[in-house]
Amino acid sequence: MRTHLLMLIIATLLQPSAPIWAQTGAKPVAGQSLSVTASSAGIDTLLTGGPAAWNQIVAKRVALNRTPPLYDTDEPAAVEIPMLDVRLVRAGGKLLVCLSWRDTTHDAATLAAVPNTPPETRFRKVPTEADDRFFDAAAVMFPEKSGGGAIAPSLQMGDAEHPVEIYYWNATRGAMLMQAQGRSTTKRTGQTFPANGTYQNGQWNVTFELPDLPAGTTVAFAVWNGSQKDRDGRKYFSVWQVLE
Amino acid sequence: MSKHQYAMVMDLNKCLGCQTCTIACKKLWTDRDGTGYMYWNNVETRPGLGYPRQWDRIGGGWKDGTLQPSPLPPMDDYGHAWEYNYEQRLYEGKKQPVMPSPEPQSGVNWDEDVGGMNADENYFFYLPRICNHCTYPACLEACPRKAIYKRDEDGIVVIDQERCQGYRYCIKACPYKKIYFNEVTGKSEKCIFCYPRLEKGEVNACAAQCPGRLRFVGLLDDPESPVHKLVLVHKIALPLFPEKGTQPNVFYVPPFNPPKRENYGKSILEDPRVPLDYLVYLFGAEVKDVITRLEAELKKAQEGGRSEVLQLLIGRDAETRFHVRPQLVQIQV
Repeated sequence: MRTHLLMLIIATLLQPSAPIWAQTGAKPVAGQSLSVTASSAGIDTLLTGGPAAWNQIVAKRVALNRTPPLYDTDEPAAVEIPMLDVRLVRAGGKLLVCLSWRDTTHDAATLAAVPNTPPETRFRKVPTEADDRFFDAAAVMFPEKSGGGAIAPSLQMGDAEHPVEIYYWNATRGAMLMQAQGRSTTKRTGQTFPANGTYQNGQWNVTFELPDLPAGTTVAFAVWNGSQKDRDGRKYFSVWQVLE
Repeated sequence: MSKHQYAMVMDLNKCLGCQTCTIACKKLWTDRDGTGYMYWNNVETRPGLGYPRQWDRIGGGWKDGTLQPSPLPPMDDYGHAWEYNYEQRLYEGKKQPVMPSPEPQSGVNWDEDVGGMNADENYFFYLPRICNHCTYPACLEACPRKAIYKRDEDGIVVIDQERCQGYRYCIKACPYKKIYFNEVTGKSEKCIFCYPRLEKGEVNACAAQCPGRLRFVGLLDDPESPVHKLVLVHKIALPLFPEKGTQPNVFYVPPFNPPKRENYGKSILEDPRVPLDYLVYLFGAEVKDVITRLEAELKKAQEGGRSEVLQLLIGRDAETRFHVRPQLVQIQV
């Protein structure tokens, strides 16, 4: 496992789009900033209004990196999603984020509903319809302690001194709030948050309602492509960006 | 390595393929949402496809200390559950016969009793399978969440349902494909060797219910236990696919009877009904030594002597077959 981690760090450092500070923890510099638009639009409109609700907001195009193979047994994966469009709005005391990316494969499913009656009282149980599919997903990560100081958390799910919050949305399983203090420490808090995803014409538009993060907060993004068997650290990720 | 290791020995000469173990397990552990296709215990006909289909040929396990790649078996390889159109036939007046839908293409023990042909003779035997609770579990190594652990007190391998995120690296890594993904919970599950029963002094449900009395349970490191005697003293039980490198703790007494037709009295090594190559494929080259030992014991008994090995294998009562030691088990906090 240590070898894998080392390989991951080396491979990440070698990628031209991932600057050195992405691993060393120094704060991002100009060029990785994200402007936030103030809006009087209602939160619901922004969350569920689809792309039309965000037409007036200028997008920042953020480069996505593909994580290098994490495990010896991983199948190689092509870079299918090189870019992510990020739009940010402050409205109603919340920070609303719209992530848009092109993905030619729509990996989402409606799982059979689980009845309220306990399974032991039912003759038919909810089946597993497929065991080998993975779903499209996206996430926004930021430090648990806003404001931060001079050091940004490790891009790999934070670190022991710099815990992170991860707002994760999955095309099938919905939104869930996670916390982490470094790679493989991610844990579900059991809480959810308002989020909405729409897939149209080969494009995902996913909106997140985050707490009202102050200017200067570092945020990073991740996208998973289900048809590429993405889950875990097998994904696309951005480097840290700074909220203006 | 754990302090102690629970193990199971299954005598394949006694398995009648009745699936009572399968049902005992299913009723106890996998009668929940999302577990329909899960058989923590299954019995498959050998030679045959197995469950999931071709699990023994797709990869996983270790080679030279490195995990081996494997695809994730798709649902097609387990088979999709089907329903019958009783409603249409019985209540709606439709004339077509009662048929399953979707059309069954595969399922657990799908090729029951098909077996293979050795020259002009058919042969098959049953292979009951549970998680092998390996000494070097490939699933444990593959899990980036560290959700899988081997219990220090008894060597049982379990998946922490709190930590599991359903990534399914473990399913790929397991060379026996004995981990199943539950789409409803989004987590993976497997045989837990009935540890809640063992902790109360009760033997595993599959072993307790087995009408063929072919299962032996105990601590491998307990000299009093039948598994210790069969595996380490008498050396007549072998793990499945030892070359997969995980060091299973479920062992099999290989089938060494019956002889081919009209070859009564001949050694199975001289004129085997079950081709030796196939037994070597399943249990490794050591299977020949085991069959030789078993035949020697059989000969001893046939000549009027007493064979401790055969007496043990007959396993007349639960005290002989099971040696559960709850007092050795310390619950982890």
